[in-house]
Amino acid sequence: METVIEVIVFGLQRGAIFGLVGLGLALVYKATRILNFAQGELGTVPAFAALMLMIGFESSGDKAANRGLLLPAIVLAVVIGAALGVALYVAVIRPLGKVSPVTSLVATAGVALLLTTLELNVFEARARRFPRPVNGGFRLIGTSVIVDWHTVVILAVLGGVALALAAFFRSAPGVALLATADDPFAAELQGVPVERMRAMAWGAAGALGALAGVLGAGVFESLTPGLVTSTFMIPAFTGVVLGGITSMVGAVVGGFALGIVSQAAIQIVTSYNLDVPGPPQLAVLLVLLAVLLVRPQGLLGRLA
Amino acid sequence: MTVRPSRLAAFAGILALLLLIPQIVPVLYVNVISRAAVYGILALSMNVLVGYAGQASLGHAAFLGVGAFASGYALSELGMPFGAAVVVAAIVGMVAALVLGGVALRVSGLYLALVTIAFGLFAQETLFNIRFLTGGGAGQVAPRPSLFQGDVAYTYLCLGVLLLVLIFDWRLVASRPGRAIQALRDDERVAASWGINVTGHKLMAFVISGAIAGIGGALFASIEQIVSKEDFGLSLSITFLLMTVVGGAGNRWGVVQGGILFAVLPTILDRTHANFHVFPFTGLTATWEPAIGAILLLLTLTLFPGGIAQQQGALLSWLGGGPFKRDHDAQGAAQGGGMGARP
Repeated sequence: METVIEVIVFGLQRGAIFGLVGLGLALVYKATRILNFAQGELGTVPAFAALMLMIGFESSGDKAANRGLLLPAIVLAVVIGAALGVALYVAVIRPLGKVSPVTSLVATAGVALLLTTLELNVFEARARRFPRPVNGGFRLIGTSVIVDWHTVVILAVLGGVALALAAFFRSAPGVALLATADDPFAAELQGVPVERMRAMAWGAAGALGALAGVLGAGVFESLTPGLVTSTFMIPAFTGVVLGGITSMVGAVVGGFALGIVSQAAIQIVTSYNLDVPGPPQLAVLLVLLAVLLVRPQGLLGRLA
Repeated sequence: MTVRPSRLAAFAGILALLLLIPQIVPVLYVNVISRAAVYGILALSMNVLVGYAGQASLGHAAFLGVGAFASGYALSELGMPFGAAVVVAAIVGMVAALVLGGVALRVSGLYLALVTIAFGLFAQETLFNIRFLTGGGAGQVAPRPSLFQGDVAYTYLCLGVLLLVLIFDWRLVASRPGRAIQALRDDERVAASWGINVTGHKLMAFVISGAIAGIGGALFASIEQIVSKEDFGLSLSITFLLMTVVGGAGNRWGVVQGGILFAVLPTILDRTHANFHVFPFTGLTATWEPAIGAILLLLTLTLFPGGIAQQQGALLSWLGGGPFKRDHDAQGAAQGGGMGARP
């Protein structure tokens, strides 16, 4: 029983980050029909910016981060993430023009590679300590399972973001964005500034990515170049597909499901002493295949 | 078919250059030429999927790895001769590709791209970690054949296989199944209405691609004579995609040049960094290579969707037997194969 609770608690922690990354993916897909492989690096780059602010912009030193600056650092990260998102749309996606979804995925994969290489060259291939907003944890009542306060913080942020997005899609600009996604031409006829709506969606996705980057680095309490892409992206992709690629709720639900599934896979392999390497990767591939073969539109999505 | 002397001379020149390169290049860098040949083979393997069949693959490093480990296992654990090990690698590559091709029958486009990414990660973390097959973290030893022990000799072997794969690719495109595969890329429903067996030819494209990648893997394994799972990460898969797109998906000469470019770029950056002490080279070390590749990709997609092949259109058309004109043979390449401007 305790193990089950532990799996769920850790699964929710990872799953919430998958959900944050997934929300950015789903938002961009909804607005521009593009699967953004660079979403992870829209998180890692701002996380590095936040770390730089906290250690006083000394990229080579190993100074301890000034935790007092964490809040301004997170704000800075979100601003940089949003700016990166808009820049990515204006500089890469728009010049591409009307291309197949796979081509734009390839282009964003190129952007991810570019950003990772920049990080590697500026910040070197090593791990740096990254602070959490709240340290420590508490014992779950009636069990011996310790829940990190960081998990609570991530869940709260995810909840806040989800509420904000839900409210946004009921407001006038939100409806305009949905109209843009549905039929850009008709939306334009109705006076919706289509280009601006799309750029805004990419900007919002960048801000979400930044939150995922800062909180995700907090999960490991360390930051390495390419962190979000290598640890959170593929499960987040799978979570989005599981939840239904155009559904925002689905992205969160799928993220949690993937978090718990990968944690359960690790737990099963360790407790039964199985000789199966890479259980989370195996689980993610199996879930992806199962979803695509059984219910390709996902749990909550319509057929795209 | 009459072959004009000038064209014959050009081919002879290219062949002579190929044969001379391993002699000219300093011994230290001969293995880079072998790697370039293997990347060229992998580019042709990618090209069958991306360029001809219009299917995306972001997990091709997995096929290279499957071939490399299969060959290593056959060579060092089963004691097979090199030729047999290459055949084993090709068959194992085929089987792996057949599995992925089975998935591709049900899902397509973006979803297939996702599956290939997840497959690549699964291969790297799970498949290549199975200790008795791949030696786990220590890696699998893959000795060279006795006839090609030296670095220079082995380079000639790799170049020879690249040439064979090129010839195979040329004959494939000219054949009935080859044309059927390309018809699938343009429109599956139209192809079906022409009586083309969609399922069979899609699977065939995957199997051919997997077999070529497996052969490439067998050669790759014996360059350094040891392979480990670290060699087959997601970034290598992305590199394979980059070289196919930058080279010009759909055009065999283009993609081979793309493969060679991406194989030698790190070494060239290292050498220029060490020898030229002027502005761009002082800051550019081999660690910047992926960034250069990514920028080339973005420039290719936005400005020249047909890649290197599009820019050399006239030359490639002439070498291929057509007139020296820009868009004759380059038509398919200008659409960029699977990367074309179709919504």
